[in-house]
Amino acid sequence: MVIESQSKSGQRKAGSWMTNNRVIRSIFRRGYPDNDLDRSAVMFSNFFLHVLPARTHVHSLKPTYTWGLGIISLFLFLILMGTGFLLMFFYVPSTERAYNDMKDLQFVVSYGLVLRNLHRWAAHAMVAVVFLHMCRVFYTGSYKAPREFNWVLGVLLWGATLMMSFTGYLLPWDQLAYWAITVGSSIASYPPLIGESIRTLMLGGDTVGQNALIRFYVMHVVVLPGIMIVLMGVHFWRIRKDGGLSRPSAKPSKAVDKPAAFSPHKTYMLVELAKGKTPMVDAQAPEEEVMSWPHTVFRMLIVFVGVVAALSVVAYFFDAPLEELANPERPPNPAKAPWYFLGLQEIVSYSALAGGVIVPVVAIVGLMSIPYIDRNPEGQGHWFTSRQGRRLTLGSIAAIIPVVLILTYLNEHYAVRKLVPGAPQLWVDLLNPGTLLIALFALGSLYTWWRTGSSRMGALTLYSYFLTAYVIYTIIGLYFRGPNWAWIWPWQDTVLH
Amino acid sequence: MGDVTASLDGSAPRRRFLLGLGWVSFLISLVGPVLANVRFLFPNVVYEGEEVFKLDSLEKYPVGSITFFAEKKVVLFREKDGFRACTAVCPHLRCVIGPFIGAPGASPDILRSRCPCHGSIFDGRGQVLGGPSPRGLDFFLVTKSPDGRVVVDTRKVVGPSEHFRL
Repeated sequence: MVIESQSKSGQRKAGSWMTNNRVIRSIFRRGYPDNDLDRSAVMFSNFFLHVLPARTHVHSLKPTYTWGLGIISLFLFLILMGTGFLLMFFYVPSTERAYNDMKDLQFVVSYGLVLRNLHRWAAHAMVAVVFLHMCRVFYTGSYKAPREFNWVLGVLLWGATLMMSFTGYLLPWDQLAYWAITVGSSIASYPPLIGESIRTLMLGGDTVGQNALIRFYVMHVVVLPGIMIVLMGVHFWRIRKDGGLSRPSAKPSKAVDKPAAFSPHKTYMLVELAKGKTPMVDAQAPEEEVMSWPHTVFRMLIVFVGVVAALSVVAYFFDAPLEELANPERPPNPAKAPWYFLGLQEIVSYSALAGGVIVPVVAIVGLMSIPYIDRNPEGQGHWFTSRQGRRLTLGSIAAIIPVVLILTYLNEHYAVRKLVPGAPQLWVDLLNPGTLLIALFALGSLYTWWRTGSSRMGALTLYSYFLTAYVIYTIIGLYFRGPNWAWIWPWQDTVLH
Repeated sequence: MGDVTASLDGSAPRRRFLLGLGWVSFLISLVGPVLANVRFLFPNVVYEGEEVFKLDSLEKYPVGSITFFAEKKVVLFREKDGFRACTAVCPHLRCVIGPFIGAPGASPDILRSRCPCHGSIFDGRGQVLGGPSPRGLDFFLVTKSPDGRVVVDTRKVVGPSEHFRL
């Protein structure tokens, strides 16, 4: 028995020596956080953890509330940074070398194909996950005060994610790349007055060539990641400052007694001098909080391992697409964008000005202004706010599906130019499914607002319309468009001879 | 202590004015550098393809032929009234349009070309018959060089039915 206890204490000593020696302590200040004091201290003393609170509200850890979408987006971004740095060692942004470098990565470089696959699939996943994260935040009412501005930052991050994908898939200089730059930069030339200048700025000239490739490369590897890192830093910091993740409001907290006047006999900390209180003060609910180490940190680690594992499996079995070498003389037919831009391509095929400029600008500005229009704090932290909200969301989705399909059918058979040959372009820009849907969305959601007397119900309706139309147009672009962007059925043979 | 705070907040009218003046001056001082940096990104010289180019000699393009010059992105029509040349770049979003399809020697009104990217449809006079293109195809000046070859000048836009007898 004596021997046994001696060996146990020996093990403990060895273990504690491993985690608590002079070098480790110089790095981490403390030993392994196995007691609540060290678990708190590690969140304060570790640079990489200090964005997390020492204690986390249990509601923030509910998988069915967040689905982990925000943290998955972050991990995908980190994976993209890692794989991207490595790919840069073998890629030269030159129209003569870029495509061959892709082939080298595929056939010559050790693990080159796997890295490129990881990079491409992580990018696709990030586009999807960031969008789902935005839906989660919207449907749980998490954009409401004081989180309005963080929602705006989130919309900007979504836009930056799409720009990262767009600038990224141009770099292989294959057919997809070449015609996507051609079409994308031409869309940018449609805004009145400044359009042509934007296009020149994007391309560094008037034609798609070396100047354009180097510009997109710099955007992809320096400018956009830099912007995203800053935006993400502020995005995460604001979560802390706004009292952690959103959740259903708790019972009103007791007012804290503040000293009526400064006492000359006391030393004050900064927190006592600053006027007002932060949302963090109201957010505290110690009885419903758990230590962030291990509860939050370990969950994040598990999600990270899950993301890496899932991506690795996909990257092993599915190769990233690479089309033929860019041919400026012939676009592929049909020339399709990646799936997340197919909805845009579909409405651009009605009118470039309406689909490429007006609809995206209205959508982005509309999304950003939602928290400033829907200001009542109703239902924050509850999925769809209430039973009424759930009904309205499902109703809006069900109602808008036939509307979108009917408009698509009408456009296919009775488009402006088919009814009135030689009709002015203004008619085409005004009377097409994209513009008409914007008007219908505005009317429908304003009507809901008026009928229910709740701006939140109006916002739910509007967002559900937007989401549904976006998904339907993506599906149409993916499966129902063939050569010359003509309507086809998915089972039709589309091979051109 | 109150005085110090007041001077920092700029609560006295004179101080508030000077504080505002300082901020405005600072912001104005940023305008020049920002504009210079934006201007820097616009190239003054670009090394791109020529805008006037020589094709082959006249007899290579018999009456009734429609020839597509992939590298130049130009379509050359030779009809009994003479030559016409139009761009092969769709005015919608600059994809290269498909070939003009129709019976050999057919009237331009019967010819059809479709854009593979978004489905615009053009006739042989470049007019938009369907799809999203905001305007028709541009037609260019066609001349003959001293050595007897066809020259297309893409800087000079002409009417879609104007024929050039060379």
